[in-house]
Amino acid sequence: MANAAIELVNLKKTIGKKEIIKGLSFSIQPGEVFGFIGPNGAGKTTTIRMMVGLISITEGDVLIQGNSIKTDFKKAIREVGAIVENPEMYPFMTGWQNLKHYARMMPGVTKERMQEVVKLMGLEKPIHERAGKYSLGMRQRLGIAQALLHKPSVLILDEPTNGLDPAGIREMREHIRKLAKEQNVAIIISSHLLSEIEQMCDRIGIIKNGKLIKLQQVGEVENDNLLHHLKVAPMDQAKQILNEQLQLEAVELDGNLSFRCKKEQIPKIITCMVENNCAIYQITTANGSLEDQFFALIGENTIE
Amino acid sequence: MSRMIKLIHNEQVKIYTRKSTWLMYLILAGLIFTFAFTINYYGVPNENYQGDNWRQELKEENQKLTKEMKKDEFAASNNPYLIEKNNYYLEHDIQPATYDAWQFVGENAGLLMVVSLLVIIIAAGIVANEFRWGTIKLLLIRPIKRSGILLSKYIAVLLFALYTLMFLFIAAWLIGAIFFGVSEIDATIVKDAKDGFTSIPLIKDIFTNYSFRLVDLLMMTTLAFMISTVFRNSSLAIGVSLFLLMSGSSIVQMLADKEWVKYILFANTDLRQYVGGNSPIIEGMTLGFSITVLIVYYVVFILTSWIVFIKRDVAGQ
Repeated sequence: MANAAIELVNLKKTIGKKEIIKGLSFSIQPGEVFGFIGPNGAGKTTTIRMMVGLISITEGDVLIQGNSIKTDFKKAIREVGAIVENPEMYPFMTGWQNLKHYARMMPGVTKERMQEVVKLMGLEKPIHERAGKYSLGMRQRLGIAQALLHKPSVLILDEPTNGLDPAGIREMREHIRKLAKEQNVAIIISSHLLSEIEQMCDRIGIIKNGKLIKLQQVGEVENDNLLHHLKVAPMDQAKQILNEQLQLEAVELDGNLSFRCKKEQIPKIITCMVENNCAIYQITTANGSLEDQFFALIGENTIE
Repeated sequence: MSRMIKLIHNEQVKIYTRKSTWLMYLILAGLIFTFAFTINYYGVPNENYQGDNWRQELKEENQKLTKEMKKDEFAASNNPYLIEKNNYYLEHDIQPATYDAWQFVGENAGLLMVVSLLVIIIAAGIVANEFRWGTIKLLLIRPIKRSGILLSKYIAVLLFALYTLMFLFIAAWLIGAIFFGVSEIDATIVKDAKDGFTSIPLIKDIFTNYSFRLVDLLMMTTLAFMISTVFRNSSLAIGVSLFLLMSGSSIVQMLADKEWVKYILFANTDLRQYVGGNSPIIEGMTLGFSITVLIVYYVVFILTSWIVFIKRDVAGQ
């Protein structure tokens, strides 16, 4: 883990007497997309603000490419592109003027690079309109465009899917995967909606009340106990086969047989059904297994 | 250094892209025009004294003024001043100068109050607006120290003040030239002094009129900038600064019998109290004292702005 793109070391934030962030430690590798999930008020935005130096760190540190955001701010922040909360732009300037404004603040951003980023985010058409007229989705894209200008090695996006329609979210997902894969950028995406970002993340961290309660690879979600729904006739016979022959606990639910099993068991189940002359209409794996887990972990959306 | 120039450029783009800024200039030009129009309407000063018989004209006018005094109470209190002034011209054998663009520029020094108002509006918004728009977050996550960002904003405000001042100067000269024409710049004009009158070169008069008011402009701008930075609220900054700009000297008058009043900022901003035979507001005050007080206030304003801006946690609204 020596070459982490960004590393949080026992990060704490206390406001007044209240400890808001209670010691976060994790690191993100180059090319990795990290989902930072938690209910509203869990401390996502506070953590992100500390990561980019907008608010002071009470204890611990954030290291970006090995540089401390506390003691080596300029070096550390040079590697970061970010949107914090809403992508706010100067409403009286055009999209292009907004980008130019930020380009002037960073070394080595050429006009060609600006055009490249505009093209990447699909903003060629509205770029010369006033940003005040942009929809939230367009502002979101412009926000990402400004974050990418200086080719950062760490990209921090706070709720980037906010205000995007499903097509926009899908497009965003592709952009993000591409950036991580082709440019080896470490990307942190925060969201309170797991389902929206689950598919673009390699790994997720779940935060609740200022504590990290789970770190997990998205690929390796508990394989052994996925929920399956089987549409089959006759139902009674199929249930018996599942329960007795295969030792699976099956229950009838909405005209389906629902049971939990490993992925590898599915072909065997189907073979069994066919051998016993049961007609299979459909078999589905319940989606959002992570989602189930998320709610199990988070429980009620309570703020301490 | 080139980074700082780019930052200042950014701030200027933000000031001048907004239409409201240009509206300010339009209002300023409108005021100058109205002023010129009014002067022209009621008769251009010194118009009658431009011929070779100006001495005769002055004497005749004095006789007319004396007659008026017998009939009219208002004239009785007002006219002796005019007669004395005319006599001064006669005694010192100075022909009253042609009223022209340069003299008009000099008289427009009063509009520096409006320039102050405009600069205060800009200074009050330059930090507070970034918070209001939410753009402060994107501004502070660049490889630039916060002190540098704030410095670029302060310099941008001072440049705006300079440009606006230049605009006032040039617009007044142009409008003056259209209405009154241009005559010689090295004219001598007669002004009030401690006892009676004094004659000074016009150019010196313009210079003193403008430069002394700049002290007020600078202090109020810096105050507005500080309030903007500390409270992140442009309306509050405009309100407080304008109120103090307008009523500062009255506050000082009201408290004139107190010993500590000389430490109030507004007792010291008008440095004209030390020149041209004027006497200071509080006895015993000297130019050195006032400059010291001004510097102390200035340093406090600047330090407060910088410390608060650098230390601030930029959290949600």
